Amino acid sequence: MEADIKLAFDILAFISVMVLIVLGLGVIASMMGIFNFAHGEFVLLGAYTLYLFQARALPLWLGIVTAPLVLALVGWVLERAVIRRFYANPIMAMLGTFAIGLIIREIIRGLLGGHYKAIPEPVSGVLSVAGLDFSVWRTVIICTTIVVMLASWMFLARTSTGLRIRGALENPMLARACGISTARLYALTFAFGSALAGLAGALIVPLYGLSADIGIRFLVQAFLSVMLGGVGTFEGPVLGASIVGGMAAGLPWVVSPVLADPLVFIIALAIVKLWPQGLIAKGSI
Amino acid sequence: MSKKTISLQQSHGVDRRRVLQGSAALTAAGWMGGLASGFLLSPKWAHADGPIKMGIATDITGPIAPGGNANWQVAQYAVEQINAGGGILGRPIELYLEDTASDPKIAVGNVRKLIQERKVDVVLGGITSAMRQAIKDPIVNRGRTLYIYPQLYEGQECTKYLFCTGPTPAQQCDELIPRLIKTLGKKRFAMPSANYVWPQLLNKYARKVIEANGGEVVFEEYYPLDQVEYSATVGKIRDGKIDCVFNTVIPPGLQPFCKQLYESGFQKNGGILSCVYFDENLLNYVPAQEMEGLYTCLDYFQALDDPFDKELQAGYAKKFPNTTFPFTAGSAATGMYRGVKFYEAAVKATGGKLAREEVAAAMDTGKLENGPGGPAEMVPGKMHCKMNMYVAVCRVEGAKTKYEVISKAPMVDPKEC
Repeated sequence: MEADIKLAFDILAFISVMVLIVLGLGVIASMMGIFNFAHGEFVLLGAYTLYLFQARALPLWLGIVTAPLVLALVGWVLERAVIRRFYANPIMAMLGTFAIGLIIREIIRGLLGGHYKAIPEPVSGVLSVAGLDFSVWRTVIICTTIVVMLASWMFLARTSTGLRIRGALENPMLARACGISTARLYALTFAFGSALAGLAGALIVPLYGLSADIGIRFLVQAFLSVMLGGVGTFEGPVLGASIVGGMAAGLPWVVSPVLADPLVFIIALAIVKLWPQGLIAKGSI
Repeated sequence: MSKKTISLQQSHGVDRRRVLQGSAALTAAGWMGGLASGFLLSPKWAHADGPIKMGIATDITGPIAPGGNANWQVAQYAVEQINAGGGILGRPIELYLEDTASDPKIAVGNVRKLIQERKVDVVLGGITSAMRQAIKDPIVNRGRTLYIYPQLYEGQECTKYLFCTGPTPAQQCDELIPRLIKTLGKKRFAMPSANYVWPQLLNKYARKVIEANGGEVVFEEYYPLDQVEYSATVGKIRDGKIDCVFNTVIPPGLQPFCKQLYESGFQKNGGILSCVYFDENLLNYVPAQEMEGLYTCLDYFQALDDPFDKELQAGYAKKFPNTTFPFTAGSAATGMYRGVKFYEAAVKATGGKLAREEVAAAMDTGKLENGPGGPAEMVPGKMHCKMNMYVAVCRVEGAKTKYEVISKAPMVDPKEC
């Protein structure tokens, strides 16, 4: 029983990590129709921001708050400079963002000298509940994920900016005719998705350690999550991330870990075969 | 450079492995572009017969770069020392570097350059086993050149003209495991491992030693190298009442594994984590508190307190002030130093003859009075060397880690070939 609760907690924590990472990717993919292959590197930049704070002995909490702001800026600039040229051609967008990711990753690798860096949690230790120990930082990640998820949904579903973003996605011509600046909205959406990636990076790096490849390890699974859940909705990628994360953490219990890795993909692809539009084809926003 | 750009274009959005290869190629092309055509370190003086040409083939770029750069620095340091002392029988050593870029495919071409264009007399280098396997044929068979492999590894490399100067599984396990079982009383072992050749073969040997000493391997499990989630493993460690984890998970999987193991209270409840590739550099990859009490067994530690090792550290620090590539056992620095010195001794023994047959015959009975961690001695006919092995435990003082050496086994036999 005790072991089961701990395992459930660990799986929940990993699902939260996956959801955090997929959220930004999903928002950009669903709202803008762009598959951002540089998403993993945005996560890396968020993690690197936290590392800079640690290296300069600044408070880590500040780093976690700063990371999404830095990434929002990076996202905004990139969208205005590069990404906006790709809207007409999604394949080009994939290749273009992949190139951007590669450049970011190798710059960071150079800055780190190829080394790995251990980054401490802003709050470490364990939380004792009913005789069971839970990692404080994983608890923080779970809570943050829930808050961020709800806040993102509120932003897109309940605010007028969110309405405009959705409008601009649905029918850009009509939106422009109504006096909405779609260019600005796209930049805003991309910046928002990037900020989510930055936050994810800063939150997860204490768990995994910083290396240039921290983002790419999650990228493939993140894309799988979006495919699985369904592009074009907010809930789809979140659900997809939960399934992929849960399987990745849980399957090694039942089968050999080397088999678990491909099995996640096989199961996910089987689901995609049954529901080609993803599990949630039509969302509430 | 153009070749690398092409391989990069082909890798667009194919799969993870190709993407990683592309990234390695870009690192090679971008960050160290100048190295693509090799690098030469000439001695300050000349000799009528010309210099002795030593080739270093190591990973200056890519994921293994931290180890490769340490290797290259150690080679420079050792060769400079020899040249400052008048070279080998009056002839200076000229050092040639080729980047193997953590990629065996790139490596084969670059190593060929060392042999065919530079016409080196000996090649030292290679860190991963995959790299050694890829470059040994171009060096030893097709290249007809002597090859010295410096890294601690899984053993079973018995190729003629290929000398190994790093520790073998026997050297790393024969001291450590009996201590874990007999002195510390740990009986139930888990072997979480990265899924490649070194952990597979090391575990095979370690399992024998564990069982011979009355211990039990409760589970042995292999993970994809980039696995990031280990709750199932940690759960099995808890369920199996494991009291000693013999770890061969490597970065990037290492950090999340160590964290989850630590969070599970494994060490707090008396469990011991041991890991034989863990040197001082690796300690920086993981938060200090998770490393407390870690047991390892290597041929050298910076904490060793004899005059030769002190001088070595001081000399290396003076040549490379503030380097991020320290002189540690895990990055093959010790094997590289030994390799250069063994070669020096062998050429002295042949009276300056550089023909492979003669140098190899002299190497075969080579002896080093002094080296990192103490003397070393080739086991005749075995292409591996005896060396001192040290068991050390990691202590944490004020959030800083350091090793405390707790035992020394003199001149341990490699038990290879």
